[in-house]
Amino acid sequence: MKRPWTLLIVAVLSAGALPAAAGTIKGKIAIARARTLADVVVYVDKAPGQFAAPKQHVVMNQKDLAFQPHVMPVVVGTTVDFLNSDQVLHNVFSPDKCVSKFNLGTWPKGEVRSYTFATVGCAPVVLCNVHPEMEGFVVILQNPFFAVTDKSGLFVIHDVPEGKYTIKAWNRKFLAVSQEVTVSKEGDATCNLTLK
Amino acid sequence: MEAGRKRYRLYFPALLLAPLLMGVVDFARAVPVFSRKYQTSCSTCHYAFPQLNAFGKAFRNNGYRYPGGDENFRKDEPVSLGSEAYKKVFPNAIWPSDLPISAPFAVQAMGEYDQSFHQPDSVTAGNFVFPSVVKVFYAGTLGESFSLFGEIALENTGDAVDTGFPFRLEWNRRPAFNVAAGSIALDPTPNDRSLIPTLFNVSGLASRNGWVLDGEQPGLELWGAGNGPGGKGGWKYMTGVVNGQGGVVGRKQDVFARLTYKINGLGEIGGTEGQASKSSAFYKDNSLTLGGFVSTGRAGADLFADREDLTTWAGTMDGWYERAILNAAVFSMDSKPNGLPEQKSLAWYAQGQYVVYPWLIGLARFESTDLDTKDGLDPQTTLIPAVAGMLRANIKLTVEYKRPMNDYAARKADEECMVAKLDFAL
Repeated sequence: MKRPWTLLIVAVLSAGALPAAAGTIKGKIAIARARTLADVVVYVDKAPGQFAAPKQHVVMNQKDLAFQPHVMPVVVGTTVDFLNSDQVLHNVFSPDKCVSKFNLGTWPKGEVRSYTFATVGCAPVVLCNVHPEMEGFVVILQNPFFAVTDKSGLFVIHDVPEGKYTIKAWNRKFLAVSQEVTVSKEGDATCNLTLK
Repeated sequence: MEAGRKRYRLYFPALLLAPLLMGVVDFARAVPVFSRKYQTSCSTCHYAFPQLNAFGKAFRNNGYRYPGGDENFRKDEPVSLGSEAYKKVFPNAIWPSDLPISAPFAVQAMGEYDQSFHQPDSVTAGNFVFPSVVKVFYAGTLGESFSLFGEIALENTGDAVDTGFPFRLEWNRRPAFNVAAGSIALDPTPNDRSLIPTLFNVSGLASRNGWVLDGEQPGLELWGAGNGPGGKGGWKYMTGVVNGQGGVVGRKQDVFARLTYKINGLGEIGGTEGQASKSSAFYKDNSLTLGGFVSTGRAGADLFADREDLTTWAGTMDGWYERAILNAAVFSMDSKPNGLPEQKSLAWYAQGQYVVYPWLIGLARFESTDLDTKDGLDPQTTLIPAVAGMLRANIKLTVEYKRPMNDYAARKADEECMVAKLDFAL
């Protein structure tokens, strides 16, 4: 008769090791008179706990004279590899103080230069001093619960633990907005935001 | 004048400013057509328009295409003039090509304020010239292996108008082998065209019947370029035949050749091999380019001058280091007019530029011109300090001061002048 109890204890302990119930936050952003609704970063502001940066570097490509993706949210401490995929020289630098105005120099096609984004709460612009029209953004966030909108303004933030959160939206041109959202045990939550 | 241009009357103060204006109606070196085609900034190709940077030269040396192929870079989808598959049908079909989807036109306009010094009271010392030059230019690629470059220019010379409409069509077989037909420029001065309005003395040095390096002439040119070892620097050659200048009586066509070799810096035809560096900027290209030029021909006789045999040579140097550029050219002209003694002219200049900010460039040029090296007179020397400000990538303001020096100063005090010029392209 001891065997069922043992199994129950193991099950309870195992449940404690699993992540809390997680859901998704879906929604759509709206911006009056915007030509596109893409490239808005929607994220959970100040989720409880500590979130380690991924060990694996993420890649921001320089291809066809553009930063791809144009906007990249990352967890603080993430290292971004800037890859030159063009048959022309590219450079990456930022004029923003929060990333110490870094300048990675110039490098050929197929090579990368890396930078670790260590200051939470800023969204430095990255530029190429060889091609002034090139512009990208790295949005440095406290946690991994974020998404980038598509052209129609839709977004989905996955694997958000149960709880009550403030959802914020960031775009380089429009004022940031926020909204309270509760992710329940049942799963999905909806959040629609209007940027001004 | 040849090259599809016609100069009308020149009046004072235009006459006074002729050395400044010469060559303004000339091939555009800043073409927003390409800026639109690739949706890229002027400074991708220009140090400060019209002066090209290293990438701009590589772009030109690739037949106005991005190094390594520009299909991925051009943002407009061209209009097909035949499927690629028609290459398999040739010669029983016309070889396929394409056209830009939008009309490849652009406009450049200039205006200026001229201030002359030491003029008689009867002469207006200050003069606004708005506009001084308006250009409509067209440029682009036609399929994989042809390119076109031309313009229609109007220059205000007081109460008269100077017109020009040079163009050239190129067959860009490969970077090392190109054939150009149309308006051919012989001018070997580095960086093609000065950052400031005043023409280089070397370019404007005229023979006794008016032959000058500046400007284009109808003709044919064979040219090519290639990278040096490790993808850095490289070589470029140009050789061709043009109609020549002067009248048509007894004229012989000019034959010319030019060769340059670039040490270090971006490859002449681009590429990224071996180009990693800790710092970069569109105006930097640590390199040294040396060049040589020779031409020979016979300027024809007309009502005002007899025929004149001419042989010229030039040596050029163009050094770029970080924010500074130092370039120089020496030009010699042997002139043998019919029935007159031989005359040798010698001109040289040295010019330094420094990028204070990417939008603010200081410049100083020293020129020496000896029209006749045997006449015992000192060469004419001139100092030209100037500032160029890029108000925007496509709006430039230059202010320059021209100061005759040495004995020449006393004789040509009336040439002391200041020119402020506003130049924009769209």
